[in-house]
Amino acid sequence: MCICILYLNVLSRISGSQATEVKVSEVEFNPNFVSRMIPKLEWSALVQAADGLGHLQDLPTELIADYEANEDFLRKVHRVLLEVEVLEGCLQCPESGREFPITRGVPNMLLNEEEA
Amino acid sequence: MSSQDSSDGQQCPLVVVGETGFQVSDEVYTVTIGATVPTGFENTAAEEVQEKIGANAKISKDRGRIYFQITTDKLSQVHHLRSVDNLFVVVEEYDNYQFKDSKEETLEDLQKLASKLPWSDALKVWNMNTTLKKKRGPHRQPQGPRGRGRGKANKVTLETDTMQTETIETDTVVTDTVVTDTVETDAIDTVETLTTQEEELELEAPTADQGEGAGGVRTPALEILGEQQEVPGQELGAKVLKFRVTCNRAGDKHSFSSNEAARDFGGAVQELFQWKADMTKFDIEVLLNIHNVEMVIGIALTEESLHRRNITHFGPTTLRSTLCYGMLRLCKPQASDVILDPMCGTGAIPLEGAIEWQQAFYLAGDNNDMAVSRTVNNICHIQKKRRDKGSISGLPIDTVQWDLCHLPMRTSSVDIIITDMPFGKRMGSRKNNWDLYPSCLKEMARVTRPGSGKAVILTQDKKCFQKAISRMGGLWRKHHTVWVNVGGLHAGVFLLKRTLGIFGQIAEDSREGKESKPHEEKPGEERKKE
Repeated sequence: MCICILYLNVLSRISGSQATEVKVSEVEFNPNFVSRMIPKLEWSALVQAADGLGHLQDLPTELIADYEANEDFLRKVHRVLLEVEVLEGCLQCPESGREFPITRGVPNMLLNEEEA
Repeated sequence: MSSQDSSDGQQCPLVVVGETGFQVSDEVYTVTIGATVPTGFENTAAEEVQEKIGANAKISKDRGRIYFQITTDKLSQVHHLRSVDNLFVVVEEYDNYQFKDSKEETLEDLQKLASKLPWSDALKVWNMNTTLKKKRGPHRQPQGPRGRGRGKANKVTLETDTMQTETIETDTVVTDTVVTDTVETDAIDTVETLTTQEEELELEAPTADQGEGAGGVRTPALEILGEQQEVPGQELGAKVLKFRVTCNRAGDKHSFSSNEAARDFGGAVQELFQWKADMTKFDIEVLLNIHNVEMVIGIALTEESLHRRNITHFGPTTLRSTLCYGMLRLCKPQASDVILDPMCGTGAIPLEGAIEWQQAFYLAGDNNDMAVSRTVNNICHIQKKRRDKGSISGLPIDTVQWDLCHLPMRTSSVDIIITDMPFGKRMGSRKNNWDLYPSCLKEMARVTRPGSGKAVILTQDKKCFQKAISRMGGLWRKHHTVWVNVGGLHAGVFLLKRTLGIFGQIAEDSREGKESKPHEEKPGEERKKE
C-alpha cells in the first residue's frame, strides 16, 4: 500500500505504535502524472504520512509554487507518492482513533457490525 | 474481398528445407490478418489496430472478428495488440461461397479446394511468426537442462469454485506479450494441455466465451490415423510438421457439420502437404471458418488465446484480459485519473489498466480475503515478470480490503469506476443483486467526481441494473452500452456518466425509497464528508 492512497483516504495518520515495515521500490517517473496529482492531494497529510514513516527526506512541508516545471521537486513527490510502500503497519483515523491494520501491503478497511 | 496471393501455383507438397520446413525469403509483401476479439468490442479492437499498426480494420459485425492488412515486416507488432484473443493469417476469403446442396458434393468440393488455395504466402507468414516467437523465448528464460529456453518449474496453486486447492507443477516461458499461464479449473471449464514444438508447456482452458459468434460450433479436428510418410525431397533430419484443422461453422443452410468439414478438408490438406495430423501436439493449426456463405481459411498465429495473459492466480469468475482491455478503452484513462475497482476479484481489470495506461492510478479493492490475496499475487507476478525483463517493475496500483458500500474514499475523489458486478450465476445471487446494485451505485456515486466522473460496469443482470440506474437519474446518466458475451452469458458493459448533482443534495439518492428518513450521521461516516 503506497502513500498515494492516503491522501485520498480519510485517514491520514500512520500509527507508529505498531511495528511498521516499509519498502521502497522503483516506479516509472511520469512528471505529467505527478503534477496533475498534486492539486488532488492534501499536502499536509502527505508530509505527515511520509514523516511518520521516516521517509520525509527533503520534501518541503509547504507546497512550492510553480512546481509543474520543477522536475527535482516532482521527483521527490513521485518517490513519496508511489515508491514508498507500507507493507506492514497501521492506519489510524485521526478522529475516532480506530486503527486499520496493513498486511502484505493491503490495508483492511472493513468495518465491524457496529461501525457500519 | 480478393485473393491475397499472386499464386505461383505451388500445388504440390512444399519442399521441406531446414528445421521449420519452409524457405524464408526477405521480400516484404502484404497479407491479411484476422483476429478474434470479445464480441461487442470489435470497434475497440479496430481502434487499437489503427492506433498501433496504422491499418484500417474491417469488422465482421457481431461475430467477434476483425480483419486488417499488414506488410510482413510489421508482423511482430500484431503481438502487441491487447484487445485480441487470437490471431491468424488469412489464406483465402470467400464472400459468397456456393455450397452445393448435397453433403457429399459439398465435402468433395472442400477436398478439392485444398489444393487450389494460395498457401505459400500464409505459410511464409506462419514460419516468420514461429521464428519470432522462438527469438523471444530464449532471451527471457535461463537455459534449462531440457534444451532451448525452457523456463524454471513453478509451483502454482489453483483455487477452484469449491475452494479445493490443487497444486500443479508447470514450466512457464514468458514471451513478450504472451504469458503462458496456469488456468482455473471449475465446474464449467475444462483443462486441455497443449505441447507445441517450441519450448513452451502451456495449459489452456477453452471456455465458452471464446467469442466465436452466433451459433458457431467449435469442434476439435478429427485425428486422421495413418502412416507417416517421408516427403519426396525431404532432407534427412528435417522433421515432418504436424497439423490440425479447426472448423467453426454457423448458418442454417449447410448440409454438413463442422466435424465433417474439418475431417474432409483436413484429409485433403494432409494429402497435399504430407503433414501428420495431430490434435494436440501440432505445429500448424489450419482454421476453416464458415458463416453462412462467407468462408475464411486461415493459419493460426497464436497458440493459445492471449485472453488470460495477466492472471496466474484465478478465481471462479476471472475476466479475460482482452475484455478488461476493451472496458478500459471505453473509459479512456487520462493522466492522473484515479480509477477504482470496488469489486476487483482477482484484480484483472485494474491490473490490465496499470500495465497499459500507466498515467493513471488504480485502486483495486474487494471485501473477500481470497480475492484480495489473489489480486496481490497477480500484481506481484506481473512485477516480477517485468523485473526479469529488465524493466522497472513498479506499477501504479494498490490493493485494499474494503466494503464496497462503505468505501474509505473521500467524496468526489475518484475519476473512474470500472468493475465487473456479480452476475448472480457464478457468484452472488439474483435476489442479492436487487439490494446490492442500488447500494453499490449510491456509494460509487458518492466517491465519483460530479460532472467529469465515469463508470464502466459489466453485468449480466441487466434488468436489475437498468432498474437500479433508472432510479438514480440524479447521480448517474447512461451514456453507452456494449453487449458482450462472457462465459456463454449475455452481458452488458454500461458506460455511465456522473451527473453534476452533488451527493447528499439530490432526491434520488435517498436510501431504499424511504425519502422521509434523514440520513443518520454516524461517527464513521462523518469523516466521509468533504
